[in-house]
Amino acid sequence: MTYTAEISRANPSCFVFLVDQSASMENPIGGGRQRKSDVVADAINRLLAELSVKCAKEEGVRDYFHVAVIGYGHGVGSAFTGPLAGRELVPLSQVAEKPARVEKRVKEVPDGAGGLVETTTRFPVWVDPVAHGATPMCRALSLAESLVSDWVVRHPDGFPPIVLNLTDGESTDGDPAGAAWAVQTHVTADGAALLFNLHVSATDAVPVTFPDTDTALPDAYARTLFGMSSPLPPHMRFYAMQQGVAAGDLTRGFVYNADITSLVQFLDIGTRATDLR
Amino acid sequence: MVTSSLRVPKHGHTPGECEDAARVLPAADEGTWLAAAVADGASESLLAGPWADLLTRTVTDAVRDDDRVLRDVDRFAAALMGAGEAWRRWLADYVADREAGGRPIAWYEQPKLDRGPHAAVLAARFDTGPSATRWEVAALGDSCLFHTRDDRLLRAFPLESAAAFDNSPGLVNAFDRDGALLARHVRTASGAAEPGDRFFLCTDALAAWFLGAAERGDRPWHVLDEFTRSGDLDAFTAWLTTTRAEGLMRNDDVTVVHVAFE
Repeated sequence: MTYTAEISRANPSCFVFLVDQSASMENPIGGGRQRKSDVVADAINRLLAELSVKCAKEEGVRDYFHVAVIGYGHGVGSAFTGPLAGRELVPLSQVAEKPARVEKRVKEVPDGAGGLVETTTRFPVWVDPVAHGATPMCRALSLAESLVSDWVVRHPDGFPPIVLNLTDGESTDGDPAGAAWAVQTHVTADGAALLFNLHVSATDAVPVTFPDTDTALPDAYARTLFGMSSPLPPHMRFYAMQQGVAAGDLTRGFVYNADITSLVQFLDIGTRATDLR
Repeated sequence: MVTSSLRVPKHGHTPGECEDAARVLPAADEGTWLAAAVADGASESLLAGPWADLLTRTVTDAVRDDDRVLRDVDRFAAALMGAGEAWRRWLADYVADREAGGRPIAWYEQPKLDRGPHAAVLAARFDTGPSATRWEVAALGDSCLFHTRDDRLLRAFPLESAAAFDNSPGLVNAFDRDGALLARHVRTASGAAEPGDRFFLCTDALAAWFLGAAERGDRPWHVLDEFTRSGDLDAFTAWLTTTRAEGLMRNDDVTVVHVAFE
């Protein structure tokens, strides 16, 4: 249980993203005007883009990970749109090569003289915002468990799968704690599968990133999701601390109304490209 | 002075995917001086191999042209920035070639191209005079030089223990333009060499193994001496495979340059 297995093309790991697409995701996130469905779709697309860039080499994106994006709402199944529609686990190289579309977005970057200048960047999109139906989180977790179970059988020595659930937490098919626990019972020689949660809430509460206790969380949904989340393995705590998170032994992979893209930076695929300070 | 070098990619990679580089520059007046460099491109970077190669070429040229480069951290930093200038030209050609070849830069490559590649680098110079031989070395990052004499490790530079290695070493970025910042991270050392002395310039995984073995009381220089003298790349690769499988060495690209004073 060391979470130190090499992640490589010969020893890939897998990511299963679960995206809440229920009707309640139509509501705005607490303290903002953006719909929760927009927030999670944006988070998924940025996570997939960050993961692709992290694994990019000059010949293309290396298959260090296989990725599934499962939506749950009106139904439970692949949330990919475009060429990958309907597919579950997809090698990362194919994810990178086959977004539904690549949008141009304007962002502000430092101009080198203390100001900001607008520039356009390419923003790939694989998942569109959807808000329709109930919240069958237990069924979604069961599908994730099935993918994880199959993966660890085929990769018994690899870095364990990571499941990341993005939701407003209001499961309609029962208490998700049991299904969440079941995901984490599947193990490789390197450790148990990890389940992390991003909670996007309509409650206007203080954002929380990788907490070690649920005391600051505003409601029962948040506390349930915190309780379902795996503790961060030691190397992830180390990288979290590098990013200013006060991570300790009890820190869990849980984020409340905040950015979770930094999770990609917790993954080790070799020597880090770190700037001098 | 006798030199030999070996370079092997990490297990599972092709030789073309190796992102280590090494260069040895013989003197025009052979036998009086020698410059050698190793560089180790960061796995997370795009085009880390070409950057490592450019770094070794640039710093060995600088060491050849100015013997103060390895004594003065500011001059070494200036040489690294010179490599960065060469990189901009190289990159412009690369991007043009990709476009001409019908494979323009993909969206997932652009952020890393904009950020520039990173690499660790170490360069050394050996000068033989009528009465003594001097060596000088400068490094930024975790590539190492080992100096052995009479079957013992005399000097390890810049890291001195296996525990000192991690996966976030100091690295030179091709777009670094802050000479003072670079200079603050450069380490230098120098000393005298005697007949029979051996020097090994190693990239990090091999260097960490070397120090770990030395700390256990082994004599890892014998292993490297044997492989580099024979130049048997297949035997070295087979030994690396076994050593990695036993958990004694991290699976990473490996480069060693051996300089021997006979």
